[in-house]
Amino acid sequence: MSPCVTPKPLPPHDLPPLKQVGKPLRRVDALAKAVGSTVYAGDYAMPHMLHAKVFRSPIASGRIVRLDVAKARALAGVACVLTGADLPDAKLATDMPGQTGRAARTGSDAPVLATDVVRFHGEPIALVAAETLELAERALGLIDLQIEPTPGVFCPQKALEPDAPKVYGDDNVVARWHVEKGDVAKGMADADLVVENTFEMPFVEHAYLEPEAGVAWLDEGDVITIRVCTQVVEHFRTVAKALGLPQNKVRVIGTMVGGGFGSKEDVTVEIFLALLARATRRPVKLVYTREESFLASAKRHPFKITHRTGVRRTGRITAAEITMLADSGAYPYLSPYVLLYATAMATGPYRIDNVRIDSVAAATNQPFTSAFRGFGGPQAALAYESQMDEIAKALILDPLELRRINYLKTGETTATGQTIRSAAWSEECATRALAALGEKTPETSTRKIGRGFASTFQSYGRITWFHDTSRAWVGMEMDGTVVIRCGVPDIGAGQANSLCQIAAEVLGVPLERVSIYATDSALTPLAGTSTATRQLYMSGNAVLQAAGVVRASLVQKAAEMLGVEPGEVELENGEAVVRSPLSAATRPSALSSSLEEGDRTASASSGPSTKRIALSEVAAKAAAGGLPLAHLAQFNAPFTDGLDPETGQGDIWPDFTFGAQAVEVAVDVETGEVELLKSVACHDVGRAINPAAARGQIAGGSHQGLGYALMEEYVVKDGMTQTPTLAEYLIPTAVDFPDTQVILLESGTGVGPFGAKGIGEPALTPAAPAVANAVADALGVRVFSLPLTREKVLAAADAGKNVKRPDPNW
Amino acid sequence: MTLPRFELLQPASVGEAVELLASRPEAISLAGGTALLVDLRSRRTAPPALIDLGRIGDLRGVTQGANEISIGAMTTIAELLNHPMIKERAPLLAQACATFGSPLVRNRATIGGNVVHASPAAELAPALLALDASIEFKSVRGRRLVRAVDVWKGPGKTTRKADELVTSIRIPHAAGRWGHAWRKLGLRKADAIAVASVAVRLSLRDDGTCDEARIALGAVAPTPLRVAKAEAALAGKAFADERVLEAAKAAADACSPIDDVRASAAYRRRVVGVLVRRALAEAGLGGR
Amino acid sequence: MTEKKITLRVNGRTHELSVAANASLLETLRALGHVDVKSGCDKGDCGACTVLLDGKAVPSCLVLAAQADGATITTVSGLGTAEHPHPIQEAFADAGAIQCGFCTPGLILSTKALLDANPDPTEAEIREAISGNLCRCTGYAQIVEAVRLAAERLASEGVARPGAILPGEVARADQPIRRGGEMP
Repeated sequence: MSPCVTPKPLPPHDLPPLKQVGKPLRRVDALAKAVGSTVYAGDYAMPHMLHAKVFRSPIASGRIVRLDVAKARALAGVACVLTGADLPDAKLATDMPGQTGRAARTGSDAPVLATDVVRFHGEPIALVAAETLELAERALGLIDLQIEPTPGVFCPQKALEPDAPKVYGDDNVVARWHVEKGDVAKGMADADLVVENTFEMPFVEHAYLEPEAGVAWLDEGDVITIRVCTQVVEHFRTVAKALGLPQNKVRVIGTMVGGGFGSKEDVTVEIFLALLARATRRPVKLVYTREESFLASAKRHPFKITHRTGVRRTGRITAAEITMLADSGAYPYLSPYVLLYATAMATGPYRIDNVRIDSVAAATNQPFTSAFRGFGGPQAALAYESQMDEIAKALILDPLELRRINYLKTGETTATGQTIRSAAWSEECATRALAALGEKTPETSTRKIGRGFASTFQSYGRITWFHDTSRAWVGMEMDGTVVIRCGVPDIGAGQANSLCQIAAEVLGVPLERVSIYATDSALTPLAGTSTATRQLYMSGNAVLQAAGVVRASLVQKAAEMLGVEPGEVELENGEAVVRSPLSAATRPSALSSSLEEGDRTASASSGPSTKRIALSEVAAKAAAGGLPLAHLAQFNAPFTDGLDPETGQGDIWPDFTFGAQAVEVAVDVETGEVELLKSVACHDVGRAINPAAARGQIAGGSHQGLGYALMEEYVVKDGMTQTPTLAEYLIPTAVDFPDTQVILLESGTGVGPFGAKGIGEPALTPAAPAVANAVADALGVRVFSLPLTREKVLAAADAGKNVKRPDPNW
Repeated sequence: MTLPRFELLQPASVGEAVELLASRPEAISLAGGTALLVDLRSRRTAPPALIDLGRIGDLRGVTQGANEISIGAMTTIAELLNHPMIKERAPLLAQACATFGSPLVRNRATIGGNVVHASPAAELAPALLALDASIEFKSVRGRRLVRAVDVWKGPGKTTRKADELVTSIRIPHAAGRWGHAWRKLGLRKADAIAVASVAVRLSLRDDGTCDEARIALGAVAPTPLRVAKAEAALAGKAFADERVLEAAKAAADACSPIDDVRASAAYRRRVVGVLVRRALAEAGLGGR
Repeated sequence: MTEKKITLRVNGRTHELSVAANASLLETLRALGHVDVKSGCDKGDCGACTVLLDGKAVPSCLVLAAQADGATITTVSGLGTAEHPHPIQEAFADAGAIQCGFCTPGLILSTKALLDANPDPTEAEIREAISGNLCRCTGYAQIVEAVRLAAERLASEGVARPGAILPGEVARADQPIRRGGEMP
């Protein structure tokens, strides 16, 4: 890779000055978490509360011959034991969560409790509620289960063979997608070279620090109320369906979530709790152990991806033919959509005119797979960015130069024919990340140094044919403080804080004067899921709209009180002030973005007694005049139809975030150890609502991606987990990797508030391919599967000894 | 998962403890608990009674005698790590303590517990072997000292009799100049079980002759082990690269590792040779 | 005997308790209402349940309550409150070191133990000291910055401030309540 990279100058872009947005303010939720007063789902207790446990399948594939819970029921202190026989119709809907008005895919529902067949290790079979946790655990030991092992299928490839044991439907096919753009045969014929490679990725565990937990009870109106850590309070509908209840008889109160990363997008403890609370009419608590969390929760999909790419000698890609095989595990959950994401992003942030992609997700007797930060995007990216480096190597072309020739630009189309409408700053990001690596570390005979980078793109916002909506309510109190009501689950990324900062900006108050009530399906306007990097975009826009209506009332009343035109009124620092036409025109934008400077300018140009009024006064007068000081807004994403069934062409997402990551590694060629020396990530976030929080998303996403690259694999052998605890499933500690340096770019072109794009998921995606490319650079030989374990890297190092490394200046 | 039920016995002295061990053979000693409580929670073991050694002050601390350092069995890893006497007299042990578990675990885990738990990957074992440490056992029947090389008999198995208490670990003073090195390869830089580990000590003369070599391996056999053949490749000979390579090969040949979720046997065998070679090279520098 | 009578001093308050022999310190503290001590794995692998036990940071899941008899224990809420946060707590909030917050109590207590022993740690010492506390959200960058920031603020503060008094507590002259970890 070329040693010197110059950052590409940024195109002209307009960022209007803002007062609250764009500042690295202390997040509204931070201090409570620091002093330990934030109460998480497992921290709640209720009077007369029972403790629940789930009895799970000890094997991966079998037939239940006998299930006798009599002894468990008879144990003193056991209040309730439920089996599938007690709930014949209880199904766990596994279609897109939180959605209304869409028919579920037929046959995709898992039984809440297995009755005859078990399809994965850990599948729930019975529920126990007892006076103490210890009694509930003892009751599990008294359940008599006879289970006859049946032949299972533990590999998606084998699952698709005609004689494979059937886990799902009559062919184990959970989903297929087909995308056809241009003329692949012609594109391949135009190519000077065709490069073909296959890449593989493992199961990965989310490993949030907070295991799944919740408490449920019946309120005085017999509403089943569930306090739970979830990314989706709209699962009250899923619970209602499973229990055969009207949807207005189930309420979900979401707590602060101790990490979700996609896995608390699925229903976890909610239905179990609801069933037990209904059966016992007592509050019931269920907290998973770490081992149970591993067994019971979704994993990231293993993928096998083959790229066949046609390319001209000049570096222009003429065609791409891609196949993908994903392991859906025992039940579909969100596999069809994860597969869609991987499929639609399979060609990466590159313009390729001739594309054919065929993907399939197959059911196996393995852990079920579902959403995990990136939602298929990281798997696609590992393949397309590794392939780009392999193409560059074959052409003896600089990897950056190859990408430059092919980068997707604004106005061009993705593999599914969707036009990119916002800034596509791939090159701007990649060159900055590479330049920031600085001088290359010297190597020794046993410690090879390699550099690699990856350019990726990732959607934000949900699939547009789901017709996604969010609601938020914003109001001003009589003392000038602000209240937001919005059903947004905060999963740690600062979802709630962003909404507060947006309202503070619009209403001209300091952040500490904004309060938010979030995540109660009965009391806060439904905001949709905290998934798909959508909350800043969706609920941020809803807050922006709602606050705008309140602002209009305040500005109108303040103008009357100040005797000026509404256009001359500015709201800032809790006051309505008259905007001086002179100062507004001449004030440099850099200064106006600071509150203090804004104040000084206003005071200098006008007498404070006549030209400013506290918002509390304005609010009181506005209320007296009947002007609305609160508003419920609904934001609708763009609504589209589905993809063309023949060609897979059509729009899928509202917009995309572009970014890049560059790393330098040292590879010990005698042990296979890979040491990460430097890491730089650069993303165009559109507009950083809170730069400290945005940086945290990227630094943290990068770390998860680096773990994915170098150490994480949820090992399953014949369907049985081999990494049952955090002692075997290793995630990075504070000493494993250096910090990822974060470079934020702000094109201001996103569809979120103030031009923001989403960053939660995009942050993770480029890390693993960057590392894979760096290791390949160090050794001259690629490891084609994740993670880059010591053993695989050592084997590559052995192979690399016979390979002449290309000239470092190609 | 809650812990299984057990009776908790909390003797206040070594005397009380050995009486309990004699009268309650079914009881298990609880030292720092960082391994035993995990085993209990996982239901790998479920003894009816635990004997908590935490109240026996005599089992803690480091003392220096004329011929040896004596480390109380209940001395924590963190205490050893920061102990000036260990840093000075047994820096190899201090190095092994630095890679032991996590800082949180080091504040609870004890040297005696690590010896008795007898994991093939026991973090301190290779260092204790290379230091030629002895383990002191006490019971109502008396006291005995066992050389570290004779202590471990298999995964979870030691020569300790059911009624015996580990009271101290003795590290003999070394005469002359010794070089040493500790190498551990885990799957993560902190809080990771060794995939392979190596502790070496070399006594070197000014003329470069190696008087004595001690080479100990962890995580590559059912027990931590010393490799006599590898040591013999060096002892009494001029310290040179060929000797080091020979010793490394002998060490790799001597081990009998397993395949598990962390690494394959083949990888362990190969990498242990690399670690031995590197450790010897470093120790050779230190001894010169 | 499966029940044990023990005394625990938690955040300056003394509790006389009868605990089951198999009760962990983690379970016992949470049962007492100290739910700011989090449970993440119950096997000493994650550090979420870290408390200061006589000033040392330990995983409370791997300590039996009966083993802690007579000990002084500090949980994160014993360091400070929202009204009177400890400088370490403020530094974590200010540095953007907190995302989901589930690992935060343990990390702050590991930081407290570090800075008590080593008021001016290097970056390597900081990383080492928190290497038993897993965080899945932040990538640790802002946590390391928070520890640095806390060290600087504590240094410029000179002498330690008096500890926060929790609601419902009474500071008696003969038994001054001080910030956890500094108990006499």
